[in-house]
Amino acid sequence: MKKVCKYAVAAAIIAFLVYHSIYFENLEDIKQQRRKGTFNAAEYAREFWDNQLFSVFDKAVDVEELIELFNTNMNEAVRKYGKAPGVSRVYSYLIKGNGKILTIAKDFLEVSIRETQTNPDIKITTGFYIPGNAVRDASGLIDVSEFSDTMKFNEISGEINKIVVKEVIRPFLEEKPQVGNTIRFLGATQVSQEATEAKEFQLIEVVPIRLRLE
Amino acid sequence: MNFNRINPVIGMRSSVMVRKLFLLTIAILALTLFVSGCRQKKQAKTDQEKAQGKKKIAVVISTLNNPWFVVLGNTAKERAEQLGYEVTIFDSQNDTAKESDHFDNIIAGGYVAILFNPTDADGSIANVRKSKEAGVPTFCIDREINSNEVAATQILSDNYTGCVELGQYFVKRMDEKGKYVELLGILGDNNTWNRSKGFHSVVDNYPELKMVSQQTAEFDRTKAMEVLESTLQAYPEIDAVFCGNDAMAMGAYQALVAAGKADKVMVFGFDGAKDVIDSIHDGKIVATGMQFPKRMARMAAEQADEYIKGRRDFPQKVPVAVELVTQENIAKYTAYGRQSEQ
Repeated sequence: MKKVCKYAVAAAIIAFLVYHSIYFENLEDIKQQRRKGTFNAAEYAREFWDNQLFSVFDKAVDVEELIELFNTNMNEAVRKYGKAPGVSRVYSYLIKGNGKILTIAKDFLEVSIRETQTNPDIKITTGFYIPGNAVRDASGLIDVSEFSDTMKFNEISGEINKIVVKEVIRPFLEEKPQVGNTIRFLGATQVSQEATEAKEFQLIEVVPIRLRLE
Repeated sequence: MNFNRINPVIGMRSSVMVRKLFLLTIAILALTLFVSGCRQKKQAKTDQEKAQGKKKIAVVISTLNNPWFVVLGNTAKERAEQLGYEVTIFDSQNDTAKESDHFDNIIAGGYVAILFNPTDADGSIANVRKSKEAGVPTFCIDREINSNEVAATQILSDNYTGCVELGQYFVKRMDEKGKYVELLGILGDNNTWNRSKGFHSVVDNYPELKMVSQQTAEFDRTKAMEVLESTLQAYPEIDAVFCGNDAMAMGAYQALVAAGKADKVMVFGFDGAKDVIDSIHDGKIVATGMQFPKRMARMAAEQADEYIKGRRDFPQKVPVAVELVTQENIAKYTAYGRQSEQ
């Protein structure tokens, strides 16, 4: 009887220790935490915006020259100025220019860059949500192969776009731009190689990196 | 001191034990010699095969239960054969253990390269590492592994950006409001999350678009049908279903047909598979993202060939853009690619 009690107590102690030594966690939760824990897309985007992006401003192509090239020789436009992280028909371009505001809509300005200034040539994004990878890819500074998990590469675009909204678009809108104002800009755009084949001509959409009233 | 004389029982036990130990040692030595002899014979055989005939490339696919992956595997095989290799396709059946066994057999079988569609972004790393250590380069297709240290290159669909574009189209078709269901793929696959996050990065900015349910159907058509049938019991009034792949989109569509709701609920998929392309053509399923499995498979075979011939400067990750296919632009597309590429 004494032996039975001893064994029972020993078994209870072992069971207690084992129970408190082992725990179960969802593997997917751990993987997600691990991924989040080691990379901070917001910090990466901040560093990129503050310390790297300006280094390529001098490589921005004049928007009038680029549009002309799109209309006459798209392959040359891609070869000279286009950037894409892999295999794609859509290329990103770093562009600069000035022009006159013709229309102010909810999420964009229509701007004329040519001398006649009667028809719009580009749209400048002014909405509070920007999709896409224009700024990330047009810079040519961020290499997808730097990242073991491409989700990190994707998150950077989202964070860069938030900076654009907060530090470029909002301050610009606070200056209360009007139709007829002249603006100067530097920005990024994404254009498909097939853009000029489209039945309806679409204005190129520019995500502003610098934007001010003149 | 002679223990046998002092305690004859202990003495007898000792000598029996010593004999047993001796025999065990001999057995282990013999087994070791036998196994190493077999390995040498196998190596000699593969060396001989290499000297005599075509080099061998292995194509390892996550599952051949999905037609999209069948196209991926068959295209890779076809292109590698055109380049002069003998090719074998291995089916991992979505199981990393089976995948590991395939890698062991491939390494032992003298293959010179592996065109690899991983089952799990983390779980598959060890397999690629062991093939690298054995001197067999691996070229990932469609799905990535979460390591830049072990594969020769990784050719991936840009799922996130593809679903950003799909999300924008979804918002437009839904007129920025309504209820929808999301069916996710395999939870351990990075593509599942790249697609879902790309979609939500757009759609979540519209507060009148409400996701009533998000569940995994593991990229499987039958599971998707079952999951949506059950979801419709709880949420009978929905306006759309976003599916992380086309197999699930077909399953979802089947469930909606059975419920008499196929005309009222829009279905969005992702892949560019034949049945969904045909369905979009027929005005049923609304849109999908074309992933270009043939393009990726051909690239992988060609890069393996270049590697074998000496090239080493491959980018680690190569995203391949996904294109939005809708009822408006369906004429440009066919199953698994563009009309112009067939």
